[in-house]
Amino acid sequence: MIFPTLTYHTLRRRRRAGSIPDSHRRTVALIGNPNSGKTTLFNALTGLRQKVGNYPGVTVEKKEGRLTINSEECTVLDLPGTYSFLPGSPDEQITVDVLTGRVDHSPIPDLVVCVVDAGHVERSLYLVSQVIDRQLPLVIALNMVDAAGRNGIRIDAGCLAQELGVPVVETIANKQTGIEALKHAIALTRRPSSNARLWQLPEPVERECKELVTLLGTYHKITGPQAFEEATTLMGSESAAIDLLKHYHRDLRSHLQKNHQKLEFLGIDRNSIFVESRNRWIRSVCSKAVKQKRDHQATFSDRIDRVVTHRFWGLIVFLAVMAILFQSIFTWSAIPTGWVNSGFDLLESALLKTMPPGDLRDLVVRGALGGVSAVVGFLPQIMLLFLFIGLLEDSGYMARAAFVMDRIMGRVGLHGKSFIPLLSSFACAIPGIMATRTIENPKDRLATMLVAPLMSCSARLPVYTLLIAAFMPPVRILGFFSLAGLTLLSMYLLGLLAALGMAWLFKRTLLKTSPPVFLMELPQYCIPSFRSVLTQMIGRASSFLRKAGTVILGASILLWFLATYPRLEGVSTPAQRLEHSFAGMAGKSIEPLIRPLGFDWKVGIGLVSSLLQREMFVSTMGTIYNIDNADDARGIVSLQQRMREDRDPSTGGKTFTLLTAICVMVYYVLAMQCLSTVAVMQRETNGWRWPAFQIAYMTALAYGVTFIVYRSGLWLGLGG
Amino acid sequence: MTMIGSETLSSLAEIPPGYRARVRLIQHPRPEIARRLRELGICEEAVIRCILRGNGNMICEVRNMRIGLDNTLARSILVSLINEASAA
Repeated sequence: MIFPTLTYHTLRRRRRAGSIPDSHRRTVALIGNPNSGKTTLFNALTGLRQKVGNYPGVTVEKKEGRLTINSEECTVLDLPGTYSFLPGSPDEQITVDVLTGRVDHSPIPDLVVCVVDAGHVERSLYLVSQVIDRQLPLVIALNMVDAAGRNGIRIDAGCLAQELGVPVVETIANKQTGIEALKHAIALTRRPSSNARLWQLPEPVERECKELVTLLGTYHKITGPQAFEEATTLMGSESAAIDLLKHYHRDLRSHLQKNHQKLEFLGIDRNSIFVESRNRWIRSVCSKAVKQKRDHQATFSDRIDRVVTHRFWGLIVFLAVMAILFQSIFTWSAIPTGWVNSGFDLLESALLKTMPPGDLRDLVVRGALGGVSAVVGFLPQIMLLFLFIGLLEDSGYMARAAFVMDRIMGRVGLHGKSFIPLLSSFACAIPGIMATRTIENPKDRLATMLVAPLMSCSARLPVYTLLIAAFMPPVRILGFFSLAGLTLLSMYLLGLLAALGMAWLFKRTLLKTSPPVFLMELPQYCIPSFRSVLTQMIGRASSFLRKAGTVILGASILLWFLATYPRLEGVSTPAQRLEHSFAGMAGKSIEPLIRPLGFDWKVGIGLVSSLLQREMFVSTMGTIYNIDNADDARGIVSLQQRMREDRDPSTGGKTFTLLTAICVMVYYVLAMQCLSTVAVMQRETNGWRWPAFQIAYMTALAYGVTFIVYRSGLWLGLGG
Repeated sequence: MTMIGSETLSSLAEIPPGYRARVRLIQHPRPEIARRLRELGICEEAVIRCILRGNGNMICEVRNMRIGLDNTLARSILVSLINEASAA
């Protein structure tokens, strides 16, 4: 650890003398460029003592943890990665706002730890110099020194500390190296470095800048680092827009006008001069502190990239990775989900035995327990998905996947990173929507979230299989493809096409952005830290349980209530009781609405009661057709038979025909029959506006398309 | 090709893989994009190496860092080719 200013003992003396109050809990903000290993370092510092929330009013994840150093408790904030103080995304905006004290309930941090990737010191110093300009107390964690060493980069940390005037600690976060030294430095650093701005502007610009700073002080009482920053922003602004800066004093504006003319006369580009001057200083620091073998050698990363980002092989690798990801959330998660379900079955039968029959038992078993098992049932999928995403991100592959997919996703106006959330939604839209957090542009992210539930998730599969097996004739096409299989495939394709089509539409209308620009750093490949990936996964899963879980539980109890009350007195079958309940009444009352789609009140009840989860359509049909065991294979067969034979008593026609079955499936492909997804949308967008819009557009789409399918089917004579 | 003074400039999108070039001018219509490029190290006078070309995008190296960018963006970066002999 290189530590130029305070020693631990002087600090202890000061504390005893009372110059540093002990009562105030310090806030330490971790900042750094994306891919600098910041989150791994955060996990190494705080372990499981962290909580994930949201910043007020935005969808940016707020990660906070506890750190105890020598019995002093600190709050550690893991701020989103950023390249500079000029934000390019809402994530970066949050970092800048927190550091400048513009976020409610987040005071300006007492200390900033800037994580610098030792392999990219030159790039990272841009942000470091901006923190120094702001005169915030700063410690530099020079991370991944091992990887840099392997690439022939040696950093003289002492020299770097000297040049910057701040402590520099060497760390290897994924191997837990240097963490104690970093904690020590955090404990000791209480003041900003004595040096103010370290870099210089060319003489005429420096002079102009000073004059503006003086004017800002005179007219607007803005001083110190803030005045300098404001002056540079003003100097970089468009000449034509100066008159619009009405909140500045007239003298200041006319001065700025002259100042622009002067710099123009001298041939100085106001847009680039500040960045360039800073970069010039950074180069001079690096020439002293960073030693690098000059000759370029293909690194390990380069060799992998030759395959992984190749025009053709890149796509093959991407498809293989996605196949494993898809397989894991679709198939592997079925094993732990099975454990969860059998656990809940045991609990349910235990409760049924021990509790006296009555409303309370029904509420607990059918309402509350049903809701809890629905929530917990999603957990294996969510955890597996986040495990994979964590591994892909930490290893460096995620950026390559976005690079490979950018062209294809760009056709519908989405970012390359939208692909993984959409693919995950084939298993379940909930982890899919949560996976959109990796998309920086808020409009791209929102467009992806809006269309993700159109991908056919695993909950739709029981509905498809029930109806296909019941109504599709066992015909083979070309002797190999069964009609049933092709129907299933077309349902998946319909969802995919609807998702891409709607994304295209949203990006051209509601969520219009300037033409998307692909500009992304491709980090070096590295072995992910399992500890960090697991910590992140647990954090996200528990945040899902707390936030979405409560809404899902509430909705489940509400739906149980609707399907149970008002009770039918006397001896009656479950089907009669369901028909008599609020859900039954709702199913009947929406019948005129769904008649044009070829649906009767029985489908209506199915639609209402599967609002929580789509697969509940199957068990509801089971109740309506008096099948006790609609969940097992024998029960399904008898249910299918009864559905085929059922006739409408008033008309004598069949309730379910091949066409009705197709229409029900099409409706389920496109409609938002999943309250859990709504709950997650509410949480991820921090409000009810977008989930409401999503329900509205999906219902309209489902209704419209099903209507067209039904009418065309009748016209083709399929209605019989 | 663009001429500035007596120098012939080409855009980054025209640099073949393995070749190095010096950035001469960034002329992106959106100042925030131009600024982001400069912050990432793609600034005037920086040496940049084209690593590979993908489908409508490319990977280049600047300051030891791999950056992926699309060809439209690459066309807004004017460079002069250097050191052709060392090309891979």
